[in-house]
Amino acid sequence: MKCLLIASESAEVLFHWTDPEFQQNVQKQYGASQEDGQGLPAFEDSISTLFAPIIISCITMVDRLRDSYTSFTTENHHIYVLHQFDECLYIAVNGDGEEGECDLRRKIYVVKKMTEVLFGMVTLSSNLLRKELRPQDTEQRARLWKHLQSLLQTYGHLRENDQSFLVEAVERLIHPTLCEQCIEFLERRLVQQLNSSGERAGEEVMHAFILVHTKLLAFYSSRNASSLSTSDLLVLIIMAQNMYPSNTDSDDPNPEVENDRRTSGSGPESFYTPEPSPPPDRGSSSSGGFCGRCCSVYSYLVSHLSFAFAKLEKRLSEGQEGSAATRGQRTIHEVRGKLDKFIKALGPTEIQVCWIEFKNLAFTRGGPGFSRHLIPSCKKMKTQLCAVYRQCFLLESGSSSIPQRLSPGLQERAQSMVQEKLMDWKDFLLVKSRRNITMDFPGLIHFICVDRSTGQMIAPSLNLTERNTSELGKGPLAQFIRRKVWTLVNTTRRYLQKGYSTVTFRDGDFYFCYFLWFENETGFKLEAGDLPVLSDDSAPIGMLAWDYYRKLLRYYSKSHQGEVVKCYELLTVHLGVVPAEIILQHCRQLASKLWEPSRNPLL
Amino acid sequence: ALVMTELMQPDSRRCTYFFLYDGSKVKGEGDLTREGICYFYPEETPLDEQELLCGQLAGAGRCVSELSSSPVCVLRLRRNKFAIRMKDDFFWALGCPVEVPTISVCELLDQLINLFRFYNGSVRRSYQLNRPETLASRWAQYLSHLQSGSSDLHHIFSCLRTIDATNIDPLLLLKAALILQACQRCPLVSAGCVLFRGRVVSTQISPELTMKVMVHESETYTKGPRCNDPGTFNSFGGAVSSTTVFLTRSSLAKFLPFSKTRLSRTLSNTPSTESEPSDAFSSPSFSRRLSDSSVFSPDPSQSGADPTPQQPDPPFSNGEPSPEAEEEVPEESNYESFHSNGNGVSQMHNEAGGSLFGEDSRLNGGGGDGDAARGPVFDFRGAEESRDHNVFEEVSGGGCGNVQGRGAESPDPARSDDSPLIPMTLYLHRVKGLVLALLVEPCFLSDTDSMEEVYHSSLASLNGLEAHLRTVSPGASGPQGPYLFAHFDCVQSTLTTNLSARPGGALQRPFVRATSLLHSHFCNTETLQEAIIRSAGAAVYGTRSVAQETYFQQHGGSLRNSGIPNHQDSAFSLPGKARHRLLKHGVNLI
Repeated sequence: MKCLLIASESAEVLFHWTDPEFQQNVQKQYGASQEDGQGLPAFEDSISTLFAPIIISCITMVDRLRDSYTSFTTENHHIYVLHQFDECLYIAVNGDGEEGECDLRRKIYVVKKMTEVLFGMVTLSSNLLRKELRPQDTEQRARLWKHLQSLLQTYGHLRENDQSFLVEAVERLIHPTLCEQCIEFLERRLVQQLNSSGERAGEEVMHAFILVHTKLLAFYSSRNASSLSTSDLLVLIIMAQNMYPSNTDSDDPNPEVENDRRTSGSGPESFYTPEPSPPPDRGSSSSGGFCGRCCSVYSYLVSHLSFAFAKLEKRLSEGQEGSAATRGQRTIHEVRGKLDKFIKALGPTEIQVCWIEFKNLAFTRGGPGFSRHLIPSCKKMKTQLCAVYRQCFLLESGSSSIPQRLSPGLQERAQSMVQEKLMDWKDFLLVKSRRNITMDFPGLIHFICVDRSTGQMIAPSLNLTERNTSELGKGPLAQFIRRKVWTLVNTTRRYLQKGYSTVTFRDGDFYFCYFLWFENETGFKLEAGDLPVLSDDSAPIGMLAWDYYRKLLRYYSKSHQGEVVKCYELLTVHLGVVPAEIILQHCRQLASKLWEPSRNPLL
Repeated sequence: ALVMTELMQPDSRRCTYFFLYDGSKVKGEGDLTREGICYFYPEETPLDEQELLCGQLAGAGRCVSELSSSPVCVLRLRRNKFAIRMKDDFFWALGCPVEVPTISVCELLDQLINLFRFYNGSVRRSYQLNRPETLASRWAQYLSHLQSGSSDLHHIFSCLRTIDATNIDPLLLLKAALILQACQRCPLVSAGCVLFRGRVVSTQISPELTMKVMVHESETYTKGPRCNDPGTFNSFGGAVSSTTVFLTRSSLAKFLPFSKTRLSRTLSNTPSTESEPSDAFSSPSFSRRLSDSSVFSPDPSQSGADPTPQQPDPPFSNGEPSPEAEEEVPEESNYESFHSNGNGVSQMHNEAGGSLFGEDSRLNGGGGDGDAARGPVFDFRGAEESRDHNVFEEVSGGGCGNVQGRGAESPDPARSDDSPLIPMTLYLHRVKGLVLALLVEPCFLSDTDSMEEVYHSSLASLNGLEAHLRTVSPGASGPQGPYLFAHFDCVQSTLTTNLSARPGGALQRPFVRATSLLHSHFCNTETLQEAIIRSAGAAVYGTRSVAQETYFQQHGGSLRNSGIPNHQDSAFSLPGKARHRLLKHGVNLI
């Protein structure tokens, strides 16, 4: 029983997603009073009615107590997680025990990330988000919601079944020679051909990569492209999976399914080159008069400015007119010059009017200055900047309302080129994607190793339903271990959130270890420093929706100026009977061996 | 000298808000929210803020409950977390800072509600019979009692405060236990406990019940004897007082069969003729009773292993159950068996008449059992009813690695307000700082003979015990050792620790924080046996069994390290160190 909804500050539901069980539950409660056969609108109405008191109460609490609900738990173990992003309230519900509070909070962050990938910085303003998520045309809205719901479902499925989405890092297929060949192929043949095609209509391929299921075989970025963050890459993998789902975890072990898949499903088709749709905070579009590097600088500036205004607005509305608001004030002072230049470059627009008005209010001697009177003007600036961002750095979504950049013809050509290139490797890659790495430590049952500086992970396969069984084989034991691993990751995140970087447990017949450590570029182990202690409702630890590790590295690097700091994590599951010294020896060996340069070619 | 060092931290109030809101008073359009507020803590909170919190939390809570067809039990804000209980139209909320483990917040609220019901009976009825101001002062009293003089560790474990047994002659503890047993010879006495200056010396009843009894004890202690109090008996020089209390069926059922069974067994094995005290103690049956019963060893494997009560003895000759009591619980089998259970009163009187516990009586035989030195004596076997029972209920619901929260959702007796409450009487006999507290049948108070019997038979022993306990120097802590530890006994609900509140408290904070996290984790994960967690500041080892949880941190050492797996890392030697170091504190981890 699951539900997720986004509501505006006027308690309007901007988007919702419910599973059939939740829908039934709602209909059971309100069905009697509703007309049958009304379909979506009737259900939408009842959902709004049901949640309205919670949403209104939440807004009241923020207004009057400067505090807001973060979660409810009921005696029958239903969990409601609430989170406010700027003007919008997100609520995630679980009533079937499959998701905990942290999972729900993560889901909220993911849906926010998805909307940003699709529509840009609209999450800062409920008006902008409303415009995107609730188009007037009901048919268009239904299509859009369906797309977003399907993305969420794909994400949910991956999080439950794919280790790289469990730890939120990209898993690479480890085959240096093939990887190199493929990068060369992408650069010299594929990207070149697409970018020189007449069909491209002004578009330019910036990034190209090849996936085998969810695993990354090769990645290429053109020289003038800004780098793609792990977070964006993970979202792109979700999108690719959403378009071409692989059946790797279908519960049916029937051999025919396997054959089916080879010929139709996730066989060669999984060598898909996704369209390089622009991630939210990087630009690659040529529209709006900006291009290349210049564009990415401006897009960063615009998003930075929007946040500055959003922050200032928040501080002022919280009544922090004095010392606290000056922090926001300083930021505005700092960006004043940049904003002047940027608006001049844009030419006469509505934002120019707003900016002059703001400056008059804020900076004029004898004016109201940084007080509550500035809030409306602040809000206007924020909305204007978000709109500029949308206009300049993202394509206006066409009739489909789902951004599609490359023409279908070019997409097809790209696909067939990759298929042709990898035809000989197909069987090898499919097997390899399931048995990426093997282990030879007696007593060691499973491990996951993550390089957080590059956002990559390595782990033996835990796919249970494949005919090619995993290291653990299949059946209840493997299923049990899988559940344990998933639980372990959640648990260690909880400790990491509270500043613990080494954690070991003896749980039942197993012994679990978790280590997080820092190294410099030459592999020298750096001293473990104080890690930040975060609150229970802080952003989820991971790299997909909110990059905890990037912040952690920045935090840690402050005390290691002039050094390139790298961050690693290792999780292991051992049999409980193995002596602790041996377990630690294994961990040490794994930690030093796995990231040897020879085994892990850099991108 | 480390058991229960006093850790007074006046500022460490864990409760930030507590309120009881009666939704039935605010039904109509024009009804003001303030009319539904039965009690609000802190009392100085402006009324509009009270209304805001009550109105919003109760409203949102009701809305969520309707959506999920189940009452809300935990509600979190960014800055506070609330344990919630919803029953009929009542809405209780208890708020704590977010650092306090959820499970502890829920326990605190349950304790509070249960305390109220223990002394006042049904909440609804109390509000029908009494003025809200009167009841408000009671909520305030219970809340302040639960928060007073406890350390952060006490808040985490919700444990009993016990006397420091390390400085005390074990014979004194034994003596306290014997006083209680002697009182039980009166068939109207169910069970009781001996308290000294707000700490438990010996108890026959469950930790929950003992905690409740202690509230009244501390209240009478503060107020001093008041001769005009209706519950005070002038005939006993103001030393004896009583109050009506209400027990749930389940809590009654848990100690009644057990205590009476023990009594009958003891009596049937004891010669019925008047005998010298020394004879009674040296009789084979008595020493066997001491050694083979679980009185002094709260081994959980034994608890509950002897659930079958002895064959009921012949019915009372003159102890007919009172008609009112009969009406209260007509179908309560335990209750009835209690009433029909027992021995001849005449025999009991003979027994109790002797100076059984005279000052100079020395114990021989198995009396000096070394186990008694462990700590206060707990004559309590119902392990399955104590905390750990709750813990496992919680775990089965939420063993999903969701460290926080889940554990707090178990059904709790506090919510079963509809379960019938059985009135009993709490009898207190105070000798300066020492108190004998007994749960007795209501008719005990009108039975002058029984009352005098109990009073006189225990008076001399209580005086002697008080004199001895008074001379024990309180809390003269020995060397602290280069480590911190906390040992929680889940069965007896007691805590042993070497933490102090003296300067250096800040150094202990990492330990308390780690303990809090690990305790939550243990509560939520049934299969978890031990854990080592390390932050930059501290490495803490935690281990648990069915009956206990132990936490250990070694001072100093080379904490500075890279955090990379290394078998020479001092964090991984913690289990061995803990085993070795804690042996001398009576904690056996092997």
